[in-house]
Amino acid sequence: MIHDFHYLKPGTLKEALAMYAEHEDCKVICGGQSLLIVMRQGMIAPENLLDIKHLNELNYIKFDEKDGLRLGATTTHRAIEKSEVIKKYYPALVAMENKLASIQVRNWGTIGGNLAHADPAGDPAPLLIALKANIKVGSAKGERVMPLDEFFVDYFEIAMEKGELVLEVHVPVTQPKTGIAYQKFNYLTNDMGIVGVAASVTLNGGNTCKDARVVLGNAGPTPRRSKKAEEFLIGKALNDDVFAEAGKIASEDCEPVADIHASEDFRRHVIGVLTKRMLKKAFEEAQGK
Amino acid sequence: MSTEIKELKFTTFKTNIKYSVINKRVHNIDGLAKVTGRATYTFDVKLPNMLYGKILRSPHPHARIVNIDASKALAMPGVIAVATGKDTPGVKQGIWRRYPELCDEQILPLEKVRYIGEPVAAVAAVTEEIAEKALELIDVEYEVLPPVFQPLDAIRKDAPIIHEGVERNINVTRHIEWGDVDDAFAEAEKDGYIREDWFRTSSQHHMCMETRAAVSSFTPDGKLTVYCSTQSPYYMQALLAGVLDMREGDIRVIAHYVGGGFGGKFELDAAIFCSAVLSKKTFRPVKIVFTREEDFIASKRRTPMHYYIRTAMKKDGTFLAREVRVFTNGGAYTGMGATALYLTGFFCSFPYKWRGYRYDGYRVYTNTLPSTAMRGFGAPQAMFCSEQQIEWMCADLGLDPYEVRRKNAHTECYEVPGQAYIQSCGMTQCIDKIEAWAKSKGNLGPNRAIGVSAAGFMSGGIFNWFDTPYSFSSAVVVINYDGKVDLYVGCQEIGQGSNTTMAIICAETLGVKIEDINVYSGDTAHSPADLGAWGSRQTLMAGNAVKMAAEDAKRQLLEFAYAEMGLNIVYDLDIKDRWVHVIARPERGMKYEDLVKRAIRGKDGQRIIGRGYYTPHRKGMISPAYSYMMQAVDAEIDPETGKITLHEVMTAHDCGQPINPLGLIGQLEGAASMALGFGYLEDQPMDEGKILNPNLVDYKVIRATEMPKTDMIEIDTYEAEGPYGAKEAGEGLTNPTAAALGNAIFHALGLQMKELPITSEKIVNALKEKKEKQGK
Repeated sequence: MIHDFHYLKPGTLKEALAMYAEHEDCKVICGGQSLLIVMRQGMIAPENLLDIKHLNELNYIKFDEKDGLRLGATTTHRAIEKSEVIKKYYPALVAMENKLASIQVRNWGTIGGNLAHADPAGDPAPLLIALKANIKVGSAKGERVMPLDEFFVDYFEIAMEKGELVLEVHVPVTQPKTGIAYQKFNYLTNDMGIVGVAASVTLNGGNTCKDARVVLGNAGPTPRRSKKAEEFLIGKALNDDVFAEAGKIASEDCEPVADIHASEDFRRHVIGVLTKRMLKKAFEEAQGK
Repeated sequence: MSTEIKELKFTTFKTNIKYSVINKRVHNIDGLAKVTGRATYTFDVKLPNMLYGKILRSPHPHARIVNIDASKALAMPGVIAVATGKDTPGVKQGIWRRYPELCDEQILPLEKVRYIGEPVAAVAAVTEEIAEKALELIDVEYEVLPPVFQPLDAIRKDAPIIHEGVERNINVTRHIEWGDVDDAFAEAEKDGYIREDWFRTSSQHHMCMETRAAVSSFTPDGKLTVYCSTQSPYYMQALLAGVLDMREGDIRVIAHYVGGGFGGKFELDAAIFCSAVLSKKTFRPVKIVFTREEDFIASKRRTPMHYYIRTAMKKDGTFLAREVRVFTNGGAYTGMGATALYLTGFFCSFPYKWRGYRYDGYRVYTNTLPSTAMRGFGAPQAMFCSEQQIEWMCADLGLDPYEVRRKNAHTECYEVPGQAYIQSCGMTQCIDKIEAWAKSKGNLGPNRAIGVSAAGFMSGGIFNWFDTPYSFSSAVVVINYDGKVDLYVGCQEIGQGSNTTMAIICAETLGVKIEDINVYSGDTAHSPADLGAWGSRQTLMAGNAVKMAAEDAKRQLLEFAYAEMGLNIVYDLDIKDRWVHVIARPERGMKYEDLVKRAIRGKDGQRIIGRGYYTPHRKGMISPAYSYMMQAVDAEIDPETGKITLHEVMTAHDCGQPINPLGLIGQLEGAASMALGFGYLEDQPMDEGKILNPNLVDYKVIRATEMPKTDMIEIDTYEAEGPYGAKEAGEGLTNPTAAALGNAIFHALGLQMKELPITSEKIVNALKEKKEKQGK
């Protein structure tokens, strides 16, 4: 049973930041698709809930060919999934959203809420890190921006100070000759991933890797890059053997934990397979550009 | 015994009978109430002055209860009563009432708890929140005892004893045997083929949309009314009378709408019992609704089994004999698990003819959540093992598995020696159809294959271990002055469409429209006794009772029509589509409504009342009739990740005469989703007896995105024992699926998967093992 709490509903972002600074033991709710589950299971019982879901100031999708994509924190998954401009410039994001939980959840859950919840099995984070996204957070005192891969600290822990809210996700313009791919492994298509892998590959003319990112979901306390796999790839002429080797490196460069759904060994095995496949998929997409 | 049947050389393939109501696609008659939210489930029941109950559960798998101190809880404002075993007559109950030693479960036990989640005390308070908080204030002193969790550990000599006096924790044993098994094996040893395998099947949760729920209201006149979510109001009435030391007739059980049962809701559960005890204590209505977690940890589950099968066949694929040994994880109490033990042993012979067959089953107590009936009732476990082994033996010998199945399949008018009479049987036709379908698919490409499994199932049980003195099914038909019909049945609607089925049978028999029938069920105050919705019994048994009741009423109507029309005695009358007519001259007749009015007048104003009942007689040991089917699962497996993609499930199905094709499709789809889940998703892993996934995030059930296309080829048979030739059509469809999936994996990747569920991880490990073996 969910314990009683005080419900705070600010009218503006400014008011939200002021309220957040004011209240102790306060959780932000921005859709509640993750939060309410942990509250219902009794894992947390905050005294106050600050609802920012309705703040339209943070509900936007902006795109500029020079600046890239900006997603306000209260933008829903469904809005991202249905956005024409995202479909055109970041199709991998649409594909990812397509398999994020159910339509009902996507209609109500938000990108800011998802990232702030910091479940290592979350879908958007690995892909956004592969896209080199930054995240803007702010409090009553001011705003700051950090790369998304520095945002996650531990299981359900993020690099935010007291009183800070997630404000925006910024995805820079993708470099030319770049391919992006994400896939999770699970039993039910729209379930959380048992593991997930996002890859980006940028080619330096020909088949040589200029830049690469390999980001692993649910392979440790946070979404994490396999920098060893990335270093291995950069400068290499890419082919199936290289992808397989990168997969092997990634499968060793992570800390997955066994649970009832899969053992540690199996998770490492699937990370290896998915890394190989996502790199190949990203490579083929980059070649086509 | 056998001569009687063998002389019956009638054909069970029906001639073209034209029905007016039967075999039309009909929506469930209660659909409108459900989709508009007007159906009153137990959860919706709210009575004046009602209290809310919550149950305190054992954190230990095995412990002696030393003391329960509820004084602090009782002191809490808003708490009205706390009940423990001491507030009950202390009766051990069970559903096998003919066998007192199997009535072993005392809900709210006095002495011991035997599984994590077992009810220890119950609180009634003015709100649910207060009741829940009060649970924390009850001090229970336990003396923790050593537990045992696995049946093969529990049968050891030095294992902890779970029930006093039950040696080696063996709860029930079952032996089934016919023919000369040893002789047949000896023959195979000389010039045949013998194969033996061990299998393990997993647990499965019933996963009803509606969790266990009850509202009990005990009134000062000594009468008890219980609204509850049950598959059998009559069973609940009888069982409650036993545990509360009351007269059956003073207990009224109401269950108008039930959100699913699947075999999990025909035993007395803690929601029903504890609410009744608390209501008796407080003289106020008490409502208890299980949370989803409580349903997972404390409502019984599908029986996990260890299976050993040794099968002998001739080199040409003729089956000789089979020997089967099964150990089931019974959990803490018997429940319906004893029946599952029996049925798994019988259905492991299905649907084939064996010269010799021997089964020994052992149900073993463990300190885990008790196991019980669940859709298929032991048969899905049997088919998973049997049908895979047959497939592998065919591969071992280079035989065509369709041909081998056909060669050994049951046929109509066959006697399973000493066990069962098979009248109608479309097994061979099912095999033919699926073979043609599978072959029409052509080459499916790498890592993808069609796996098949045959199966059959019963149409209700013949056994009466419940020891009811009443007919298994009864019905009353009342025809009113305006021609509308009230149909009173004890069979239970649990979402499967039983009320619709009964309305169809009643309308067809009387010759009226389905909308002329009002079905009254789910209330022991006006429904005649009926064993309820389990074992696939209602269409055949309650259907026969309804048909008989409707015929009785119709005969009374036609008596007046004969008199009125003054026909030559050689002519017959009938009613169809509300038209009473001479069969030979259909244009000659009168309106049904007019006949009813005259008939009622002729009966001095009495409404026309027809009565019907059914109890099976002289049909063997198991069931009056059997459904047959062959199912194909088209699956693709990613050999690197082990991920299974389901493309299609096709079933050739002999259920006799389908009553409602729309209902049948619903059963097919529901069964496929449940049985595929059993095949590769669902399990209840435990740590020291504690279920680790008691929620819908971690317990995986198939969702719409995973659901493959399913379709059915209906095999046309007529079952003489069933109403209008109908027999079982729903539960049995759960039986073949896991085996067919296993066989698809066998043909796609060459793996023999012997453990359920077949997870991706198990597939990857098996492939790795296979590669290592080939490397050597």
